Amino acid sequence: MANKRVETGRGRKPGVVKASKKSSTSNRAFYLIIAVIAIGGIAALTYASTRSNAIVNASPVDTTLPLVKSEGYVMGSPTAPLEVIEFGDFECPQCGRFATLTEPDVRKNLVGGGSIRLRYIDFPLPMHPNTWNASRAAACADEQGKFWEMHDALFANQDHWDGAATSNPDKVLKQIGDQIVPDKSKFEHCVDTKQTQAKVQAHWRLAEARHVNGTPTFVIGDQQIGQVINYDQFKQLVDSAIAKSGKTAPAAEGDAAKATTVGGAKDGSKKAP
Amino acid sequence: MTKRMWMALISLAGLFLGAYLTLYKFGVIGTLACNVGSCERVQTSRWSIFLGLPVATWGVGFYVLMLALSIAGLQPRFAESRRLSLGIVLLAGWGVVFTAWLNYLEAFVINAWCEWCLGSAAIVVVLFVLAVTDLRETRAIEGGDEE
Repeated sequence: MANKRVETGRGRKPGVVKASKKSSTSNRAFYLIIAVIAIGGIAALTYASTRSNAIVNASPVDTTLPLVKSEGYVMGSPTAPLEVIEFGDFECPQCGRFATLTEPDVRKNLVGGGSIRLRYIDFPLPMHPNTWNASRAAACADEQGKFWEMHDALFANQDHWDGAATSNPDKVLKQIGDQIVPDKSKFEHCVDTKQTQAKVQAHWRLAEARHVNGTPTFVIGDQQIGQVINYDQFKQLVDSAIAKSGKTAPAAEGDAAKATTVGGAKDGSKKAP
Repeated sequence: MTKRMWMALISLAGLFLGAYLTLYKFGVIGTLACNVGSCERVQTSRWSIFLGLPVATWGVGFYVLMLALSIAGLQPRFAESRRLSLGIVLLAGWGVVFTAWLNYLEAFVINAWCEWCLGSAAIVVVLFVLAVTDLRETRAIEGGDEE
């Protein structure tokens, strides 16, 4: 074993001069391999971040589809030049990523700045066992004007009530909702009796009718995007849709104070007209 | 190539794997490539955060340390250092324990598997085996020197 060490240049025994030549060649090869792996790794990460952020699942909105009138939950000014629709599933990890990573910027800059009005419509997917419970609970919170607060809490705590976490989601959902709604007993009764089931079903049927086949799906102007998108892409699509519509977006951005109906803010949610 | 060279190379591969998952956690990478299992369920679960940081980021730190120690071990000054070998074994051993806990969570708590996490687990086990072999070789050198 000791001889092997000499061969690799780590010993200081007779024969070390010959070994050191071998060793320096070996070291050079090693550092070359390290450099190749490092360059390859950086290139792979760059490629992955570029490719995975590309919009690959966008299609023009079919104008024969049923219009969205009063379904869902709306945040933002009724006079905003553009309405963006999100078909979402509370138990979908990608929707959770959008809600927690991207949506805060969308709300602050685009909803708050008056460029868009955001509409969320439930599309509970069959592979998520607790998503209907979550949609019903969010609708119950909406009855007390707290949809968007509940929306945010559901996505922020997705792993506390999802199918992997519990087989009794209503218990956890009530705990979450109780911290948000003013009338806890009304909320709990609403959840227990599934009062809002018909509303969620109506949302689901609308999504089905519009051929939504995954979540999140965004309708921005004449484009339907069936994948998660980052803020820059979202803004680009919004700007393009507003430009196409011929309307003008408010010049100032990022003034959260203007957002009188931004979810999570004290004014709470605003129902669709 | 020596054991320490192999450890450095494998640690570098692990580092990029951890960086990939970290970039996903921070929203730089939109969607994970995941052919087997349910990577996003695992990566968005509450267990994907440890002490306020994504588990993947801790993984990056682990692999950076392993890489640094392995490359340090190639320098003549530390070439026969038993302490360094022991340090690498302890670090890799901690990695095996932490990875075993994560795999337990995937199997019995989250009920989903992430192929990238399994890849990292395999890397950590290989690193541990190499580290133990390296320590035994260093001990053998010390034994030989004493004769």
